[in-house]
Amino acid sequence: MTHQKNSPISRRTLLRSGGAVVASGVVLAACGGSTGNPVTRIGEQPESEPLSDAKVDDVVLLRTAQSVEKMVADILSDSRITSVLSGEKATLVAAFAVAHQRHVSNIAPLVTSRGGEPVNEANAKLMTAYGNTVLDLIGESKEQEDALTAVLGLETLVAATYQYSLSLTVEPALRADMMRLGAQSSRHAAVLAQLKNPGTKGFAPGTDEEGNPTVATLPTAFGALNSVQIAIGPPNEVGLRTNVLMDTPSLNSLLYVS
Amino acid sequence: MEQIQSQSPDTPAASRRQLIASLIAGGAIVAASPVFARGASAATSDIPKNDERDNPTLNAALERESRMVATYALAVAATTNQDDKAALLLIHDNHVAYVDALRGYLATEAQAPSSQPLASPSGSFSSVASLLSGLEDETATIHTNSIAGLVGINAASLIASIITVEARQSAALALVSGVSPQAAARV
Repeated sequence: MTHQKNSPISRRTLLRSGGAVVASGVVLAACGGSTGNPVTRIGEQPESEPLSDAKVDDVVLLRTAQSVEKMVADILSDSRITSVLSGEKATLVAAFAVAHQRHVSNIAPLVTSRGGEPVNEANAKLMTAYGNTVLDLIGESKEQEDALTAVLGLETLVAATYQYSLSLTVEPALRADMMRLGAQSSRHAAVLAQLKNPGTKGFAPGTDEEGNPTVATLPTAFGALNSVQIAIGPPNEVGLRTNVLMDTPSLNSLLYVS
Repeated sequence: MEQIQSQSPDTPAASRRQLIASLIAGGAIVAASPVFARGASAATSDIPKNDERDNPTLNAALERESRMVATYALAVAATTNQDDKAALLLIHDNHVAYVDALRGYLATEAQAPSSQPLASPSGSFSSVASLLSGLEDETATIHTNSIAGLVGINAASLIASIITVEARQSAALALVSGVSPQAAARV
């Protein structure tokens, strides 16, 4: 009888040592960020100042809401929008602009009572991301329908901003205040959608005679938080307009407290 | 010739239990590694996701939505124009979705809601739409006020997503009932 011994590395040993290697690797990777750049440098290396941790608190959310309201108030009051609107639609959009400016003022005491500094400037990041583009495109097309499409998109966006901010707000009473302001923009959006596609036929999503989607007053059962997409501006050679994606404020467009 | 597989006596055998334990330990380290990582941004992690103290408020919301469903069922039956009927049916279905969502959230804590209508819509479509617009507004206000008392962020987010659409429904119904756009938008 011969005892033939297996390989010294059994399946069990392999699994065990493999698991240990993976775990050690993770620990080393997590701790390894503090070492400097291993690449040798010649000459002076400027000292880099690490970024401070940004905290998303209720004051940051309120200040950001103010900047979004101010942005929409400014866009709705811009001459590129007001010059293409007429009659009842011009009156309505002007009233919406006043309402948004009023919301900026309404939020101010909520910010100051929490030790923050109120904002009365449009959100610069969002203006760069899509606000200026929207105004430029309407300036080029000079069409009333484009202006209404943009205002509808912006009102939907403001409502979504409050709905999203609520999910980050710590103080429950403040969540209710935010939703009161958000509901106002929801009402604006419904009225604008009805101006573009009036009557009960315009409530549900549908298509026109040519198969193009129509504007729906009630596009979803629950408030959506996805990007608002609008097609505006002069049509190109194949008849298509420019698509603009508008998002609610995110971590890179919040107004942090320094 | 007989072959016997045996383990070397100088290497202690790891039992299956030890093996599983080491894998769990490895998993725990992997899960905990973000804690050791630098630069983690502070956010709103302190907010509770769910809280059972919210159940009575959510059951009240479920009751209200259930009664809205019953009211819209009457309104649909009282409406003859096909476009108007389809529009009311759409909003009816939205309220059914809210009932389902609240019931799903509450799960075993959901109480059987009343299906008593909040009103008896009748007459012209204009008067029906006006009545329903008022009820939508009232419901959105009830939900908004209730958010101030909700502890869990998931419950608050669900109610918020309902308020956003109910405000739209209220304004749209007001407009088709014949009020001015300014009045419907409340500006």
